[in-house]
Amino acid sequence: MTAKTSTRKRSRTAAEEEKAVLSSEDEFEIPEINGDESSDEEDFSPGDEDSEDEEEESSGDEIEDEIDSDEIPSEDESISKRNGTSNGDTTTGSDGEDTSDPIDNVKVVVGADGGPRYIYPEIDPVYDSDDTDVEETNTIGNIPLEYYENYPHVGYDINGKRIMRPAAGKALDTLLDSIELPKGWTGLIDKNSGAALNLTEEELEIVKKLQRSEITEDGYDPYPDLVEYFSNTVEQMPLSSAPEPKRRFIPSKHEQKRVMKIVKGIREGRILPYKPQAEKTDEPEFYDIWADDAPQKPDHIMNIPAPKLPPPTHDESYNPPAEYLPNETEKKDWEDQDPEDREKNYLPRSHKALRLVPGYNGFVNERFERCLDLYLAPRVRRNKLNIDPASLLPKLPSPDDLKPFPTTCATVYRGHEGRVRSVAADPSGVWVATGGDDGTVRVWEILTGRQVWKLKVSSDEAVDSVTWRPTSEGRILAAACGNEILLVVPPIFDSEEETHGKEILSAGFGYATNKEGKKEAPGTWSKPDSELEEEGVVVTITVRKTVKYIAWHRRGDYLVTVSPEDVRKAVCIHRVSTHLSQTPFKEKSVTKGIPQRVQFHPSKPLLFVATKRYIRIYDLAKAELSKTLKPGARWISSIDIHPQGDNLIVGSYDKRLLWHDLDLSTKPYRTLRYHDRGIRAVAFHRGGFPLFCSSSDDGTVQVFHGKIYSDLMENALIVPLKVLKGHKIVSHLGVLDVDWHPKQPWLFSAGADGTARLWN
Amino acid sequence: MGKIKKKGVAGNARNFITRTQAVRKLQISLPDFRRLCIFKGIYPREPRNKKKANKGSTAPVTFYYTKDIQYLLHEPVLQKFRDHKTFSKKLSKALGRGDFSDAKRLEELHKPRIKLDHIIKERYPSFTDAIRDLDDALSTIFLFANLPSNRDIPAKTIETCARLANEFQHWVIRKRALRKSFLSIKGIYYQAEIQGQDVLWLVPYKFAQNVPSDVDFRIMLTFLDFYTTLLGFVMFRLYTVEGLVYPPKFDKTMDDKGAGLRAFLLESKRVGALEDGKEKEMVVKTKDVSKQLETLGEKIKEIEEKGEEETPTAISATEGEETVNEGLDKFTAIPSKDGTATDILQQPNADAGEGGKMANMFSEFTIYLSRETPREPLEFLLRSFGCKRIGWDAVLGEGSFTADDTDPSITHQIVDRPPMIGLPPMPAKKDGEDTEMGNNGTSGQRGKVMGRIYVQPQYIWDCVNAGRILRPDSYAQGAELPPHLSPWVKAKDGEYDPTAPVADDGESEEEEEAEEVKLVENGKNGVANEKESEEEEEEEEEEDEEWGGMDTELAGEGEEDSEEEEEEVEAVEIPSSEDEPSDDEELQHQRELEAEAKGLAYTDEKKSKKSEAKKKLEKEKQQKQAELERQKMMMTKKKRKLYERMEYGNKKKQDEKERLESKRRKIEREKKKGKN
Repeated sequence: MTAKTSTRKRSRTAAEEEKAVLSSEDEFEIPEINGDESSDEEDFSPGDEDSEDEEEESSGDEIEDEIDSDEIPSEDESISKRNGTSNGDTTTGSDGEDTSDPIDNVKVVVGADGGPRYIYPEIDPVYDSDDTDVEETNTIGNIPLEYYENYPHVGYDINGKRIMRPAAGKALDTLLDSIELPKGWTGLIDKNSGAALNLTEEELEIVKKLQRSEITEDGYDPYPDLVEYFSNTVEQMPLSSAPEPKRRFIPSKHEQKRVMKIVKGIREGRILPYKPQAEKTDEPEFYDIWADDAPQKPDHIMNIPAPKLPPPTHDESYNPPAEYLPNETEKKDWEDQDPEDREKNYLPRSHKALRLVPGYNGFVNERFERCLDLYLAPRVRRNKLNIDPASLLPKLPSPDDLKPFPTTCATVYRGHEGRVRSVAADPSGVWVATGGDDGTVRVWEILTGRQVWKLKVSSDEAVDSVTWRPTSEGRILAAACGNEILLVVPPIFDSEEETHGKEILSAGFGYATNKEGKKEAPGTWSKPDSELEEEGVVVTITVRKTVKYIAWHRRGDYLVTVSPEDVRKAVCIHRVSTHLSQTPFKEKSVTKGIPQRVQFHPSKPLLFVATKRYIRIYDLAKAELSKTLKPGARWISSIDIHPQGDNLIVGSYDKRLLWHDLDLSTKPYRTLRYHDRGIRAVAFHRGGFPLFCSSSDDGTVQVFHGKIYSDLMENALIVPLKVLKGHKIVSHLGVLDVDWHPKQPWLFSAGADGTARLWN
Repeated sequence: MGKIKKKGVAGNARNFITRTQAVRKLQISLPDFRRLCIFKGIYPREPRNKKKANKGSTAPVTFYYTKDIQYLLHEPVLQKFRDHKTFSKKLSKALGRGDFSDAKRLEELHKPRIKLDHIIKERYPSFTDAIRDLDDALSTIFLFANLPSNRDIPAKTIETCARLANEFQHWVIRKRALRKSFLSIKGIYYQAEIQGQDVLWLVPYKFAQNVPSDVDFRIMLTFLDFYTTLLGFVMFRLYTVEGLVYPPKFDKTMDDKGAGLRAFLLESKRVGALEDGKEKEMVVKTKDVSKQLETLGEKIKEIEEKGEEETPTAISATEGEETVNEGLDKFTAIPSKDGTATDILQQPNADAGEGGKMANMFSEFTIYLSRETPREPLEFLLRSFGCKRIGWDAVLGEGSFTADDTDPSITHQIVDRPPMIGLPPMPAKKDGEDTEMGNNGTSGQRGKVMGRIYVQPQYIWDCVNAGRILRPDSYAQGAELPPHLSPWVKAKDGEYDPTAPVADDGESEEEEEAEEVKLVENGKNGVANEKESEEEEEEEEEEDEEWGGMDTELAGEGEEDSEEEEEEVEAVEIPSSEDEPSDDEELQHQRELEAEAKGLAYTDEKKSKKSEAKKKLEKEKQQKQAELERQKMMMTKKKRKLYERMEYGNKKKQDEKERLESKRRKIEREKKKGKN
C-alpha cells in the first residue's frame, strides 16, 4: 500500500504543478482528475511533510516546467487555454500555494554572523517511502532540483559522480515525436532518476479505479458479514485474556458507607432489624364470631353431617351387671376374631372398685380411628325404615275364609298300566274318566273309586286326552287316541240318557256323505267297527296326525282338536251335529308357531290358540285375530280360561304359572314360580269356587285361591293355598293332568305313576 | 324419542370427582389436601352409581363431591399452604447452609400462620351448629390434655388443651349444665346440655396414656388445631353470654401445685373492667359482705379463708341490688270477667322444679375425698351439682376446702379402699353411730370418723344419673357395689332391661331339664304355665315397685338387707317351682300305688297331658310358620328381601336378649344355690 500511495503522490504532485502533466492528461483523457487532486492537495497542505515534498518537487517541476514550456509551446498554450476555462482557479491556487509554501515554512532567524539564517522545518524521513529502495538514487537529498538549474547535472549518485541531466531539446523532441509513446507513459519525470516515469499496468488500473471511485484493492469486501463477538452464544475461548481488574475485588466504598449508615441507625435504635409481627399483638385470639348469628338454615341436601358416636351401653360399664360379662367361650371367640370383625372393640370387664380400673389401652387409637372416619369414610345417607316388619306382609284372607279347598287325597283310582295321561270329571259329578298310556279309557265312580267301564281303544297308542261334553244332557265322552277321536256314550247311564247321547252323535251322518268328493276334508267321520260300537263308541273322527288335546265348545256342538305334529292343519274344529271337520287356519303362518293348546271362550265366539310362546285370540265371528298375549314363557304347556272369561292362566314347561288379566295387558299380571319342574296342566274350577291349580313334573299339585272382583278397579287376589303331594315321579314325569269336580271343591289328578287321585 | 343424552356430562359423572383428580385440580400435595379436607370438613361420598361416577371403571376409588372441591379452590388457607411451601424451602436452605440464626429468624418471623376463624364461621354459620359438633372436639381436647408431650406433640399444645378443658369445665360448673355421667372401662363419659343441645364427651382416666406408634399424629394434630380454635370461639361466646371475661384468670403457681380447676378465676364482665388491685379489694370486700350476709358459722368462714371459688356467687350477691333481674318475668293470666277460658303458656323455670333441685343436688353436702379417689372427675361432678365444700387430702393437690380429714363439718367422705383390717366389719346400718361406738378415738389412726357417711365413688355417679340422692347403704366402704348402668340406654320393648326382673318362663326351665329334674314336673300344661308366669310377672312388678321405693320405707338398712330383698324376690318364684313339685311327687306316688292296686299300667296323666300340650304348641307353631311362608310367597322379591333383612335384625336383637336373660337366670340360680 505504502508504495502505491507514494507513487500516487508523485503522480499527483506532478499533475498539480506541471502543464506537461496536463498534456499527458490530455493524452489520457482524464480531465477531472485535476480538480480532485487539487482538493486533495488542499487537504494535505497543513501537513509538514507534504509541504516539504511540494517544495522539493515544485523546484524540480519548475525546471521541467521550463523545459516543457520550451519544448512544447503550442501544446502548452492550447492546454492553458483549456485549463483556463475548466480548471483555471485550481491551477492558479496551486501555483500560489507553491510560492508561498517555502516562505511560510521557513523561519528566518538572525544567524551568528548577523545575517538572516533560514531554518527549515525538520525533515521527517519517511522510512516507508519507496525512495530508499531505488537503486540508482540521487544523493542530493532534499535539495530542490531548481538549484541545479544552471548545471548540466542534476545531482550526484552514491559514488559521487554527477548524474547528468537527461537529454532535452528539440532534437530529442523530434525524436520522441517520431517514436510511439511507450506503454504506461505518463509524461512525468522521476525526480530521482530524471527519467520518464512510466506507470505499470497495475498502477494504471488503480488510477482508473480511483477515477471510477471504486475501491482500488482487489477482493476487498466493504460489507463483510457481521461477526457478533458479544452475543448470547457461549464461546469456548475467552474473547479477552485480560485478567480481572482489581477493582472488582475491592469492596465498594460507597456501599460501605451506606451499610455503616444503617448500622449506626440500628445502634442508635432508630432502625429495628427484626420487627415483631404486628398482627400477633393487635388482634385478640378469640372474639365473638357468632355476633351476627345467622338464622339456622336447613342443611343443604348434599351435606351429610358426621354421625355422632353412639353413647356407651351397659356392658361398657366398669361394673356391669354380671350377665354382660363374657363367659369363656365368648371371650375366646372375641379374641380369635380379627380386630376389624369384632362387633365391639372392647370386652366387658368388671372391677370391684373404681381404684382398680386400669387405663384403657386403646384410647388414643380409638380417637384416631374416629378422626380417620371423619375425613376418610365416605358418607351416605341411608333411609332407615322404622316400621314393623309384619306390616310388609301382605294382608291375606285367613285360611278359614278361603276354605273349602282340597287338602288331602281321598281316593286313588288304580287300574291303568303305565301313565295316566288325562283325567276328566263328568258334568253330573258322579263319574270321572281317565285315559292312559295303555290305550284304555276308563270311567270310575268318584266316591268309591270303582272302575265302572273300560274301553280298550288301541294296543299300541296312548289315549292322550279325554273330555266330557260340557252339557247337562247327553253324556258324551271324547277321547283322543292316535289320530282318531272317539265320541263315546259309555253304557253306564240309564238308557234314556244313553239313547239321547247316541242320537246327538248319529244325527249328522247324512251331512257327511253329502259333502263328500268336493275336497279332502281334514277329518273323516266314520262309524267304528262293531266291537267298539258295542262298547258304546258312536263315531270316530280320523284326522291326519296324532291328536294331543280335545276341547269342547260350551254348547257341545263343536269340539276342537290339536295335533301339533300336523304342521299345516294342527287345529281342527269338528261339528257334531253335521259330522263336519274344518281347519280354521289354512296355513301354518297364520298361527305363527306350533299350536299347543286350543280352547273356546266360555261365553264369546273366541278361540284361544296357544303356541309355544304366544297365545292368540281369534274372533271366530269376524274371522280375525283379536289379541296376542305374551306370557313370556319359553314353552307353554297348558292354558285354562276363567269361567267368566276375562282371566287366563298359563302353565309352562319353564316352571312358571302365569296369570293373565285380559283387560289389563298382554303381559302377565302375576308370575308364580313355586314349582321345581315344568308345569304340565292348569285348571280353573268351573263350579263357582275361586280356585285354580297347577300340576307339575315335581309330583305336586298346587292349589291357589284366585278371586276375581266384579269391580274392575280391583285386581284379582291370588293366594297360594295348598301343595298336594302324593303322586310319585316316574321317569321325570309327575302329575300329567288335573281337573276339578264340576260342583265340589274336589280335584282330580292323573299321575305318571299309573294312578289318578281325588283330593278333597 | 327424546334427545340422546351424552354420557359423562351430567349426573353422577359430573357430581363426583376422584381424590386424585381433586388433588390435581387444587395443585397441592396429598398431605396438604388431607389437611384442607380436615379443616373444611370435606369428606368423601359414596355415589349411587360408582361405575357412572368413575367413567365406567369399577376400581375402588374415593369420590368427593365436585362442588366441595370447586369451593376449595378459593380457600385462603390454600394460599397459606403455598406460602408454607416456600417458607419451608427457605428454611431448609438456611439449615443446609448451617445458618441457624437465619433459620431461627425465619421460623420466628416468617412462618405462615394459618387462621381458621373464617372456616369456623363458614362451617358453623350459627352457634347452635357449632355446639352440635362439639362432641368430637371435646373428646379430642380432653384426650390431648392427658397425653404426655413428646416429639410429635409439643408441650404447648397440651397446655392449650388442658387450659381449654378446664375453662369448659368451669363453664359447665357455673351453668350447672352437666346432665349425666358414666364410668366406663374406657374412661368417664359426661353429657352436658348447652343451648338445648346434648354434648357427650369422654375423658380418659388419669393414667399415663399408651401412645401407639401406628397413630399418625399429624392428622390428630390437624384435627386438634381445628378443634382448639372451635372450642376457643365457643368458649368465648359462652363466657360472654354468661357475662364473664373470657380468658379466665389463670394462676400459674396454683396450677403448678396441682390445683386443677382451682387454678382458674372467673371474672364477671363488669368487675373485669376494674384494675387488678381494685379487683382484689373487691373480692375481699365481697367476702366481708358475704360474711355479714351469711351467718352459717365456721364452715363458711373456712370456705372463705381458703379463697374458695366463691367469686361468682359473691359477685352476684353484691350486684344483686343494682342489677335488674335478668331472668324471665312471671306472667300471670288475668281471668276475664265473662269467664272465657284463656290459654296459659308454659314458662321455663330454672330455679323451681326438678331441674333446679337436681342441679343443686349436693349443695347441702360437705364432701371429703380420700386420697385414693380420683379428684378431678369427682370435683367436677360434685361442683356441677351444687356442692361447694369439697375437701381432699393434700396429696391430691392444692385448692382443697379443708386438708383436715377430721373436720367435723364433713358430711360425706368418699373412699375407695377396703375397710381397715383389724377393725370389726361394720354393719352397714347406721354406720355413723357405729363408728362412734367402735372407733371413738381412732380418727387419728385413719379409722372412720364419726358423723359422716362413707361412700364409694360410684355413689356420686349413680346419684347424678338417678337425678336424686340415693340411699348410701349399698355404696358403703368395702360393700359389693350394685351394677353401674349406662344412663343413655333406655330399654325399649323387646330389649333386655337389666333393671327389670327376668321371668323364669317354663320353656327355659325345660331346656335345663337335665340339670334340674324336679322342676320338670312343675308345669301342669303349657297354657296354665304361661298364665302362671304372667301372674308371677305381675307379682314381681309389684315387688319391684316396692323395691324401688324402698329407700323411703326402709331406713338404715345395709347391703345385706338389699340382698335379703333380692332373696325375697326370688322366693316368690321359688314356691311355684320348688314347693309344688314336692306335693306333686307325693300325689304321683299315690296315683301310682292306686294304679298298681287296680292292676293297670300306670300312665302319667300329667306327662301325657304335657306332651299333648307340647304337641299342640308345636302344631300351632308349625301353622304359624306355614302361614308366614304363604304370606312371604305372595310378596314381591324386593319386599321379601327387605322383610328378611328386618327379620334378621330383629332376630339378632331377640337372640341377644335371650342370651342375656338366660345368663342372668343362671347367675341368679347359682347365687341362690350358694346361699342355700
